[in-house]
Amino acid sequence: MFYKLLIVVFLAVSLQGAPADGQKKKETLLSEKVSQMMEWTSKRAVIRLNGEKFRRLIRAPPRNYSVIIMFTALQPQRQCGVCKQADEEYQILANSWRYSNAFTNRIFFAMVDFDEGSDVFQMLNMNSAPTFINFPAKGKPKRADTYELQVRGFAAEQLARWVADRTDVHIRVIRPPNYAGPLMLGLLLAFIGSLAYVRRNNLEFLFNKNVWAFSALCFVLIMTSGQMWNHIRGPPYAHKNPNTGQVSYIHGSSQAQFVAETHIVLLFSILHCSRISHTAQLHTE
Amino acid sequence: MAEHHTASDCKHKASSNAGGSVSGNGRHSSPAGCGGSGGGLSGGLTQPAGWQSLLSFTILFLAWLAGFSSRLFAVIRFESIIHEFDPWFNYRSTHHLSTNGFYEFLNWFDERAWYPLGRIVGGTVYPGLMVTAGLIHYILNLLHVTVHIRDVCVFLAPVFSGLTAVSTFLLTRELWNQGAGLLAACFIAIVPGYISRSVAGSFDNEGIAIFALQFTYYLWVKSVKTGSVFWTIGCCLSYFYMVSAWGGYVFIINLIPLHVFVLLLMQRFSRRLYIAYSTFYIVGLVLSMQIPFVGFQPIRTSEHMAAAGVFALLQAYAFLQYLKDRLTRQEFQTLFFLGVSLAAGVVFLTVIYLTYTGEYAKIHIPIIASVSEHQPTTWVSFFFDLHILVCTFPAGLWFCIKNINDERVFVALYAISAVYFAGVMVRLMLTLTPVVCMLSAIAFSSVFEHYLGDDMKRENPPAEDSSDEDDKRNQGNLYDKAGKVRKHVSEQDRPEEGLGPNIKSIVTMLMLMLLMMFAVHCTWVTSNAYSSPSVVLASYNHDGSRNILDDFREAYYWLRQNTDEHARVMSWWDYGYQIAGMANRTTLVDNNTWNNSHIALVGKAMSSNESAAYEIMKSLDVDYVLIIFGGVIGYSGDDINKFLWMVRIAEGEHPKDIRESDYFTPQGEFRVDKAGSPTLLNCLMYKMSYYRFGEMQLDFRTPPGFDRTRNAEIGNKDIRLKHLEEAFTSEHWLVRIYRVKKQENRQALDHKLRNIAAKQKYTSKKVLPSRFH
Repeated sequence: MFYKLLIVVFLAVSLQGAPADGQKKKETLLSEKVSQMMEWTSKRAVIRLNGEKFRRLIRAPPRNYSVIIMFTALQPQRQCGVCKQADEEYQILANSWRYSNAFTNRIFFAMVDFDEGSDVFQMLNMNSAPTFINFPAKGKPKRADTYELQVRGFAAEQLARWVADRTDVHIRVIRPPNYAGPLMLGLLLAFIGSLAYVRRNNLEFLFNKNVWAFSALCFVLIMTSGQMWNHIRGPPYAHKNPNTGQVSYIHGSSQAQFVAETHIVLLFSILHCSRISHTAQLHTE
Repeated sequence: MAEHHTASDCKHKASSNAGGSVSGNGRHSSPAGCGGSGGGLSGGLTQPAGWQSLLSFTILFLAWLAGFSSRLFAVIRFESIIHEFDPWFNYRSTHHLSTNGFYEFLNWFDERAWYPLGRIVGGTVYPGLMVTAGLIHYILNLLHVTVHIRDVCVFLAPVFSGLTAVSTFLLTRELWNQGAGLLAACFIAIVPGYISRSVAGSFDNEGIAIFALQFTYYLWVKSVKTGSVFWTIGCCLSYFYMVSAWGGYVFIINLIPLHVFVLLLMQRFSRRLYIAYSTFYIVGLVLSMQIPFVGFQPIRTSEHMAAAGVFALLQAYAFLQYLKDRLTRQEFQTLFFLGVSLAAGVVFLTVIYLTYTGEYAKIHIPIIASVSEHQPTTWVSFFFDLHILVCTFPAGLWFCIKNINDERVFVALYAISAVYFAGVMVRLMLTLTPVVCMLSAIAFSSVFEHYLGDDMKRENPPAEDSSDEDDKRNQGNLYDKAGKVRKHVSEQDRPEEGLGPNIKSIVTMLMLMLLMMFAVHCTWVTSNAYSSPSVVLASYNHDGSRNILDDFREAYYWLRQNTDEHARVMSWWDYGYQIAGMANRTTLVDNNTWNNSHIALVGKAMSSNESAAYEIMKSLDVDYVLIIFGGVIGYSGDDINKFLWMVRIAEGEHPKDIRESDYFTPQGEFRVDKAGSPTLLNCLMYKMSYYRFGEMQLDFRTPPGFDRTRNAEIGNKDIRLKHLEEAFTSEHWLVRIYRVKKQENRQALDHKLRNIAAKQKYTSKKVLPSRFH
């Protein structure tokens, strides 16, 4: 495929000086580009672009399709929590378009990751991620072609409205229902049920205080070590200082924490707690 | 430092005594009462029972005293003053109550708040706090002890912390034994998690509510144990007090049904439980509906439904039990019905769970998110507020579950639910604190029991067997399968293997050191973190001397003295209660935050440019605008730092006029210097904060107009105000007040003398076409 690309590029460059052939070549180039885009879209709803692809498919002039591009930084070391959430919504939008009946080649969804195409970021003079920009079929992006993330949020529905506004393509967002929660609950119930069924002759284990005490203890320790905060805020596991390469596991501020830090605290709590209970029970047992 | 000594002293006594009284009491810690049973073996005491109650009284008294005095830091350092924001409203309404009487208070329509809407205070507050303070004031005055109502308000929370300690003692004694109870009382007296809401001057609902909470739980446990209507009615009355005091009563009305439900699941149904819960539900429901603010909520809203569901379930269960006694061959049907009703109960609980997660865990409304109390809790906060107890209380929970009985089911559920809520929201740490104290006390007491007692008493079975004794007594009417299988009588009879005196003393010393560190930590936290009135600020010089910054009161007093009585003051909602309380002027928005659109309007005025803001202020009849500016002294809680929240809230209601992105630089930064966005540099809040600030040079190292809070030289130094004028700026520029100018007189129309048109004009017109010839 890379070979094919090279040919296309070569053709495009070499035939620049031939104005008679220009129109025709342009069309073939265009159809080539469109078919290329279609091929990628059929593989993944959101096309991943790097600097070279971006220049060729988006910047280079012959183009009759709009492209919505999300500029983002998804690598874990970038620590961009919003990017991940925005990416999920964007994927939902792109998939809704990809599998809808009205799917055409008028519009494509693509993304540029900072770590793959930092030159694109420089070219567009962009400093923040995620950013959504619409590259319309004709002309350059205007001010309104940059999605106002701060104002409208990154919900797929909002994005769809914006896309409809800019390109006249109406996308009905279809969210894949989230089966994970009910599935987990069902599995848990099935597990408990099967356990009860297997042990149906002897249900004493339900009255085993150790099991209950142990699970209560786990819950309490999980809560007091701040796992709920981790769940809601989604902090990184640890922080690596990009300059020195030093990894710090404990957050400097008391308003925030790393996941690693909570694990350390959890461990200490378990140790302390078991020591106390062991000391006190030493005699009884 | 005096407080510190008291606190740690008490701790020493308490901890050592806890061990002592346990060892004296080991065998007879039957739930009904410990003090009087008098089977003491503590060597050397002739009348152990008497000694024990004397010791208990002394320790409780000292705990009360330590708790009271460690809450006085703010009063000693500053003065007897009401703190922060909400307490000012409570104080103002208490003042109204004590001057005008109870009925007048219930009917009070406050036209000074939420101008022009007003607020019906009587129907929108939990009156328990005001009534308590008013009643104390009334009684004291009746006895010719003349105190000002303010002093009653300031010292109410510390006094109630003592009552909390006593009720925690009672509850823990019911759950475990007297020694643990005393330890728990000492813990709760000084634990920072509770002190944070109950220092002297913080005249807030939580101060008395925790007492009501603990006392209600004590009476509930008591009524489940005895099954007597007397205790249950006591429980209902205490619950009524709780409902009148704090919105957190919802915690009780869900926890008690949960307790009943779990007891049913564990097949621990008993007639005592039936009597207790049926009485509690009905009487408690009727009583709680007497509070105007609560009204019909208990039969309408989803968070009360679990109680109703469990009530129905209990009735069904009891009915089936009755049938089972009468009809013999109904077992299948019984089980069937049981299953159905359990399913119903589970559905109710799920509803509750959904409500909670919806209410607490997923809050995205800006006005709620803007309050720092509504954040999830880091482990640091847990440790900061509870110190060693947070690591110890799981051990106590373990003991409780291992030696389960009816009331220990309750404390386990209490712990698990409270720890969940505390994890979700920092503020709910308050409800976790009492149970942490109780369970840690149980853990510590068990350790001391084994390491501090005499070797002599080892011949007796240890105290934890009391649960089994208790259950044996009540065997007649329960299906006590749970845990009855395993018994370690044989193990208990095993003779004591010599725990060497060295090990014993080392362990004891370690534990005592932990407790000592706990006491030190508590005192330190109380003194440094929780004892600031935030109305008066203090700063420390390099040599340790102290400057008092009294700008807030200075400004409020200026308003009180120099403005018209009916002047309307616009400020951000944080300061609404203080302006009403201290300056006695009408405010537009305050900390009640019930009307989001009104707040958004104020936010919009603050974030618009001056002429747009003037239109809004004119429509709201604003006379003065008050802002807080910390740039001179480096106070970080000022209005510029809160400004983005004003923008966000305004944007939520007026998305067309205000956009948050306009206030950021293109790089997405919020800056006040030259690189800041022009919208920010010209909005009303910026102008009012930095008016004339550009001329001010704070020291010689920095340029004029250098903002110390944000460490930046401001971007717009030449600020001119057109519709406002500076009225007052406090000593350290912390509070700035602007007067909104009245509209100028209309520009006088030029009264030209009527000149009668000369004929020439007409002629000239006639001439006009001629040009085109």
